[in-house]
Amino acid sequence: MGNFPGISGLFFDEDLLIRQSSKGVYGISIPDCGLKDFELKKTSADYINKKFARKNDPGLPEVSEPTVVRHFIRLSSWNMCVDSTFYPLGSCTMKYNPKINELISSLGNIKGLHPLTPIHLVQPALKIIYDFNLILCELTGLDEFSFSPQAGAAGEFTGLKVIKKYFDIRGEKRHIILIPDSAHGTNPASSALTGFTPVEIKTGANGYIEAKDIERHLSKDVAAIMITNPNTLGIFESDIKKISEIIHKNGSLVYMDGANFNAFIGNVKVLDMDIDLIQLNLHKTFSTPHGGGGPGSGAVGVRGFLKDYLPIPYVSFNEGIYNISEDKKYTIGRIAPFLCNFGVLLKAYAYLLSLGKDNIASVSEIAILNANYVKKRLGKILDGADPFEDRLCMHECVFTDKAIEDHGISTIEFAKLLIDYGFHPPTVYFPKNIHGAIMIEPTETESIKTINEFLKAICKIRFKTKKSAALKSPRKTKVKRVNEVLANKYPVFKY
Amino acid sequence: MHNFHYFPTSESDIKRLYSILNIKSKKELFQKIIGDIPLIDANNLKMLSGGIDELSLFSYFYDVALSLPDKNKFSIFAGGGVYNHFVPAVIDSLISRSEFYTPYTPYQPEVSQGTLFALFEFQSMMAEILGMDVVNASMYDGAESLAEAILMSLRLYLNANSDYSPRQGQQVQNNYSSDEINPHSNHLILVSEGVNPNYLSVVKSFVNNIKAKIKIVKLNKKTGQTNLNDLKLKLSAGVSTVVIQQPNYFGIIEDLEELEEVIHGFNPMPFFVVSGAEPFSFGVINPPGYHNADIFAGEGNSFGNYMNFGGPLLGIFGAKSEYIRQMPGRIVGKTKDAKNKDAYTFILATREQHIRRGAATSNICTNNSLNAVRAAIYLSLCSKLGFKELSLLNLKLAHILHEKLLKTGLFEEWFSGDFFNEFTLRIKNKKVSAVQFINGMADRGILAGIQIAEDGILVSATESNSTCDIERYAENAKDIIKTAV
Repeated sequence: MGNFPGISGLFFDEDLLIRQSSKGVYGISIPDCGLKDFELKKTSADYINKKFARKNDPGLPEVSEPTVVRHFIRLSSWNMCVDSTFYPLGSCTMKYNPKINELISSLGNIKGLHPLTPIHLVQPALKIIYDFNLILCELTGLDEFSFSPQAGAAGEFTGLKVIKKYFDIRGEKRHIILIPDSAHGTNPASSALTGFTPVEIKTGANGYIEAKDIERHLSKDVAAIMITNPNTLGIFESDIKKISEIIHKNGSLVYMDGANFNAFIGNVKVLDMDIDLIQLNLHKTFSTPHGGGGPGSGAVGVRGFLKDYLPIPYVSFNEGIYNISEDKKYTIGRIAPFLCNFGVLLKAYAYLLSLGKDNIASVSEIAILNANYVKKRLGKILDGADPFEDRLCMHECVFTDKAIEDHGISTIEFAKLLIDYGFHPPTVYFPKNIHGAIMIEPTETESIKTINEFLKAICKIRFKTKKSAALKSPRKTKVKRVNEVLANKYPVFKY
Repeated sequence: MHNFHYFPTSESDIKRLYSILNIKSKKELFQKIIGDIPLIDANNLKMLSGGIDELSLFSYFYDVALSLPDKNKFSIFAGGGVYNHFVPAVIDSLISRSEFYTPYTPYQPEVSQGTLFALFEFQSMMAEILGMDVVNASMYDGAESLAEAILMSLRLYLNANSDYSPRQGQQVQNNYSSDEINPHSNHLILVSEGVNPNYLSVVKSFVNNIKAKIKIVKLNKKTGQTNLNDLKLKLSAGVSTVVIQQPNYFGIIEDLEELEEVIHGFNPMPFFVVSGAEPFSFGVINPPGYHNADIFAGEGNSFGNYMNFGGPLLGIFGAKSEYIRQMPGRIVGKTKDAKNKDAYTFILATREQHIRRGAATSNICTNNSLNAVRAAIYLSLCSKLGFKELSLLNLKLAHILHEKLLKTGLFEEWFSGDFFNEFTLRIKNKKVSAVQFINGMADRGILAGIQIAEDGILVSATESNSTCDIERYAENAKDIIKTAV
């Protein structure tokens, strides 16, 4: 398999640090704050009531700095990541995370900024937030973004609260959110958290929600439709304008889940689809690293008539001075303790500045080309598995398990087999309306050569792999197939 | 198209792709997909300039950084939920490994053991520090964590005191739509006045969809601790939750033992939720788990993370193990692989949105995993003795500062209760407001604290502040307050 990145490797085994302890050892250099000898000798009892004093020290490891460094370096070597290999996780937009943005956000004065520093000393930071808002408004056509939400789901929650409040103020009691069956699980979960009832609508045979199917779900109880566009099948919601029209005619609002905005950026304004609000995942489309599960940022943008409902605080600009303001008439309140995930926002802003208007349109263009290339080539390898064979996809494509199943291999085995070839598996078994779904998002930062290697690996799995080998995969990883049943049967959640 | 360094696709590659797809141009590509929705010409964007090269980009942001307070000269004595702790070089060095910061959430455990293992250690060490049975793999921040804790306590309360029976086979969940009788409408959440006001605002945003009510339990005006009599007065049937922050927003150490006795002694029993923004305190004072807290939900940013102008932070969520199935967020568990070797994976995912959808315990998906890994590295470095030592150092420095400032005669104590590394003062000179004092001090390179009243400030000290800084604080305070007219 010399043509594939996954060859073999020497893994270092590593025990929990608590099992590497030597009594009395610690790995931190404690600052010399200039305390006098008599102060150094004091104990907590000299300052606080004895009844508050902790008697048993927490059971932390007792290890030195080099032990800690080797430990975590070894751990890190057990991870696949987008910097080491193709990571085509569908609907996650695992694009390259520019290193310069990491450097910028790690400048001492930026990362060391206290959120409650007086306004006149943080003007440049506030300006960045303000300007970033203007750029996002222009890219989407919407009128204002809030940066309070800490991730995509928090953005959904925020957007749905805006919807709730909007109808409350109008004195309308609407409790239903229409959500396509292909939606990410956060959509119904966020709806429930906001006190709405999620109602599922079925995707049509062509991979999108058909306007005529919306009609029968309409009533005065419908507050909004929450529609991911392009959806998690990678398909453009072709009826979106008609849907928006019908929804608006019903007095309801259109919330677009913008997790897949990478398909539009620089080429399409979402306002042209007549939507009312959106959340953008800065840790997807805007290149900020996902950090093995966060942090992210889920900026929420709205049309003018919803501006007054956005969370507080926000950055305003008046007479040459940036301010942190809380004067929004119908605000849904506070979503986060401070202004925003500034450390994330800054990287996204730097990303946009790097691209500039001359490169930004290429992002979605190449992302779409790459995805369609995968779709077309893989459609032949996995014959009969492309549910939308005659359609172009957008930023990602999805396949059923039909072709591999015929060959005796399940989707999960397919995923684990890919690992041994040196690729991170696609998103699997999602969306749930596709049988044994395999969902692939290559992004614009992968080369054709890489994609070809990936396709070749799938070809081998499809035609050459025996069931017995599939069951044993992955073989080259640090740990072999993980027993998830056991993990849940007897939960062990700490050492 | 010219070259852009993040795109591996050359101009001829793009042409090839178009020809393979049998499409002539970008216009045709989009037209075939989006129909009559217009394409925009990015070159006409007004808010975005042309692309900036890396060197120019860096100098632009370098200038931004230079125009912000100089990290090495600006002494920070402000806390209020975010504390200026020293971050050892090891953390940035290790976290800059792409293997930690560029993967997605570990959905494929076989290729994500590094993150999972580190999170397992994070959960374990946090559980030790808090004295709680189980801690999850992180939330966004202390405020959101607390809001989720309150929702969880409402679900637990409903389970425990059920005249209300959810539909058959249905679990108690976050959502009660208009066609059902809202079972939380009689529920009351008591929140101590000592809870961070920003946390309380976030909690209100979460809870107002559920119809449960929130009442504030007053502080003892003298000590700054939660007023026990007011708590007793407000405890009534239907109180699902009592929230206490430890140490509280004003830095005061609450008597959790006394409070717990009253809270858990009440029938029907409310859930005891402890919040907190400075977990370093638990190196010196008894952690919430020692006082039978049902849930801990607070901030963990003090452990190895930067202040980042307020985000990202690190939400901590811990609970008693019997409540694990009602917890929000990811939990890493230990298991075996096919060769019977130790392996780690997410557990109890049936609580979560990607499985349970509308009936999940929370909508959270992406959390603040990387911040949790930073905390894991930090706590490992601290180890048992270092953690205790640093905690004690914070306690001492804050008390040295406190004493020094009182000795100037310019301030008086606001609350008399014991405190950890944060305390409140009143400025005696009526001519100087808290805002004027803070702004004046800031212009002299000292972030002197946070305004809590017209004449009141909240001040903290950490191991980042030396006794010289403390000296400088006192001198400058004298200057500003004495010369005020």
